[in-house]
Amino acid sequence: MTAAATTPIEIPNPLREGLAAERIPEPATMVIFGASGDLTKRKLLPALYSLTRERMLPGRFAVIGYARRPMSDDAFRAEMHAGCEEFARRRPVDPGLWDGFAPNLFYQAGDYDDPKAFVALRERLEQIERTLGLPGNRVFYLSIPPSSFATVVRNLGVSGLVPPPSAPAPAHFSRVIIEKPFGTDLGTAQRLNHDIHETLTEKQIYRIDHYLGKETVQNLLVFRFANGIFEPIWNNRFVDHVQITGAETVGVEGRGGYFEQAGILRDMVQNHLFQVVSLAAMEPPVALDADGVRDEKLKVLKALRPMPSSEIDANVVRAQYAAGSIAGRSVPGYRDEPGVSPTSQTETYVGLKFFIDSWRWMGVPFFLRSAKRMPKRVTEIAIHFKEAPRLLFGRRGGEGVRPNVLSIRIQPDEGISLNFGSKLPGQAMEVAPVTMEFRYGSSFGVEPPEAYERLILDCLLGDGTLFTRADEVEASWTWISKIHQHWEAKAAAQAASGAIELLPTYAAGSWGPEASDQLIGAGGRQWRRP
Amino acid sequence: MDRATVEKFSRGEAITVEVDRIEKELASLWQAASRGEDGSETRPIARAALWNLVIPAHGIDSLSRVKRLVDELAPAMPARVITLCRGWGQSLAGISATIESNVVSRPGGARLVFAEEITLAGDGASADEHHFGALVRSLQIPSLPTAILWFDASPADSLLSNELLPVSDRLIVDTGRCGGARELAAVCRTCAINRVEVGDLGWLRLAGIRMLFAGLFDPPVGGGPLAAASHVAIEHRGPKVASALLLAAWLGVQLGWRPLDAMSGSDKGPGIRLRFAAAKGSDGRERTAIVDLRPSPGECGTSGIVSLALDAGGPGETYRVRRTADNHAELTVPIAPPRTVKLDSRTDAELCVGALGPAGRDPLLRRVLPFAERLADLVAARGAG
Repeated sequence: MTAAATTPIEIPNPLREGLAAERIPEPATMVIFGASGDLTKRKLLPALYSLTRERMLPGRFAVIGYARRPMSDDAFRAEMHAGCEEFARRRPVDPGLWDGFAPNLFYQAGDYDDPKAFVALRERLEQIERTLGLPGNRVFYLSIPPSSFATVVRNLGVSGLVPPPSAPAPAHFSRVIIEKPFGTDLGTAQRLNHDIHETLTEKQIYRIDHYLGKETVQNLLVFRFANGIFEPIWNNRFVDHVQITGAETVGVEGRGGYFEQAGILRDMVQNHLFQVVSLAAMEPPVALDADGVRDEKLKVLKALRPMPSSEIDANVVRAQYAAGSIAGRSVPGYRDEPGVSPTSQTETYVGLKFFIDSWRWMGVPFFLRSAKRMPKRVTEIAIHFKEAPRLLFGRRGGEGVRPNVLSIRIQPDEGISLNFGSKLPGQAMEVAPVTMEFRYGSSFGVEPPEAYERLILDCLLGDGTLFTRADEVEASWTWISKIHQHWEAKAAAQAASGAIELLPTYAAGSWGPEASDQLIGAGGRQWRRP
Repeated sequence: MDRATVEKFSRGEAITVEVDRIEKELASLWQAASRGEDGSETRPIARAALWNLVIPAHGIDSLSRVKRLVDELAPAMPARVITLCRGWGQSLAGISATIESNVVSRPGGARLVFAEEITLAGDGASADEHHFGALVRSLQIPSLPTAILWFDASPADSLLSNELLPVSDRLIVDTGRCGGARELAAVCRTCAINRVEVGDLGWLRLAGIRMLFAGLFDPPVGGGPLAAASHVAIEHRGPKVASALLLAAWLGVQLGWRPLDAMSGSDKGPGIRLRFAAAKGSDGRERTAIVDLRPSPGECGTSGIVSLALDAGGPGETYRVRRTADNHAELTVPIAPPRTVKLDSRTDAELCVGALGPAGRDPLLRRVLPFAERLADLVAARGAG
């Protein structure tokens, strides 16, 4: 993947040659909006600390936390230190390293909708840049409620924190990382894209989806396009169907109010899982750069077969978790969670059957399920191949014959496994399924970096390959919004008739509602037990 | 296969076997280890290997060092390790063989990953290189790459040249173990004459300091100070002159310098002074750059390097990386206050894992080793190192 050069360098550094594997960005300042929130403490600062520890950040680098809550620099540093102690990949925090890292952390309090506060932020930023000899490269991380995205971006422009999009090529970069959710439907996503494009060019926008920072998701590209044996069979001639699972054991974890508005289809499928689908289903890109990869992902999303309203109920299963057991303890049902309406229509389980209308995938059903309160946390994509054309091994021998399955485990315990039939030792011709496995942990013995480390580093390097482009976001919303519109119309009709029908349930700790088994089972198929 | 032997094998203890039955015994032991106490197949086993790793050792002490290394290496890099021990020191009728398992528990799962270690020992006539060569060829797992870890900094001998390298894909040496310039030159020559990929643990030990030093010249500083460099000082622990020479060779290659001569003594007393012809300046005249290698008792981690400092000509225009306590380094540049960063000291096993990965085929090392050989020859000719 290539990094876009943004700053002209008059005299190159010859000592960098041969160290290319270690990509070091230019000196920069990162401003984190929403710095008093959980993500900053749990993910962002631990990621920056780990990058510092791995010497992947430039020698001069500063962080300014920005949020409404008043806080001193020292208090912010202490809070971030505690966050790193608890959540950094390598713990405990190295005191010597922290002593060098902490003085470059600053905090500025201010509202997100107050232009004057942004002017004050700009003045503070410029003063820090002067003091630390930073050249003016800036990354703004929007870890804030989505309702504030457009306001903050507009204020970045108005205050001069980022140059106007019409400005001639600036000497230093200004980039903005935006957390999900990017819109709640097609209309809001389009409006948001329109609003932020008034201040930023698309190349300055990095819509982060932490799934794309996971090692196995990136390995999908390597697996498919660096190995000659898989790509020839990666199509409708050999693949029977594809299963994608995104299962969580957690419930709404105190975020019932948020989840009521979102639902699992918005929260997981539109972004994370559709990104996984697009990487698994895309054609080989012309180049492994940002637009090369994203152009191909976009084609997949555009090729999703539109689902007429009349077919949605037959191809989309939704449900809510009921009380059950997770990890040996009783857990409440969704409608009993705090912040959740007793008559909630929000889905915690969704199962989808869909098709990708391309030459490669024509006729191959994709089955996707995502849910909370499942028996185990697992995200995987499984390619189920067609059966051998003729079974040679008789009734008894053939009992062990199963179609080959290639499963790519994204989390946890990242790796790839291939199931195939093997002759059981003995006189009889009996077949048993066996598994060939590759696991990152056992094969490489190294801990892969956290997704946020990879993605923050890529943004600093100007590499947008693992970030989502505006047209990708809109393409996935185009498809997903149809389902939401159908559900909303049904809910409105029920409300009008006064006959509100609650969603079906599944017991927490189970693999979902029966309807989901029926969704996949029509062709004799069944969900994997990952 | 009796249960006691199987248990012993599962615990990773050495089992003596006949040389011609190594593969059969390994297969039987793995099969038996996958069964429960009552013979039922309850513990499926994944035998894992990414490399055939051949490690020659000489004598009991060297073998013990290799064994410790392999024990540390096994969890991070599953490999079939074939250790060859010559100079066993005991009279042996022929080559003796032992087999061991290296067992790694998988996090979150009951299943285990196993790799295996074969030790072949001989002395006198039984240690004839032809025997070792033939056994290695028979024990290589097909279709896996083979690496030779030439752990001791001894010059290549016929076992390496005639028997092992022809069936290998990668040679891993350790210039950090070279006692002086002559040994360094010999190791560099070994690496130069073969067509296999070359990794060097000594080079990998220098990776941290190279990266930190290179980082001092990232934008906005840029390469200007490097082009104007007049003097470089490398402080090293007394016996680690080979590491200092390798570091000087890296600078020489990257900055386009040409070695002129070497002499005893540095700007601050003992040490070695190297003179280079540097690139022409704006006046069209060739400049001379001096590199002083000075012994120092300071902190050096495992790399042997205490500090690397470059004077760019102007007063106070010094760029320095200095190792400090507890695996840290202090970076000094003219335009900002000094700062402290982490500088890991990796263990030999970690370095081996690195050398078996992409770092073991570093094209830059291919260019640095011949340069280091020339520097080492200059120093050795002066009797300075």
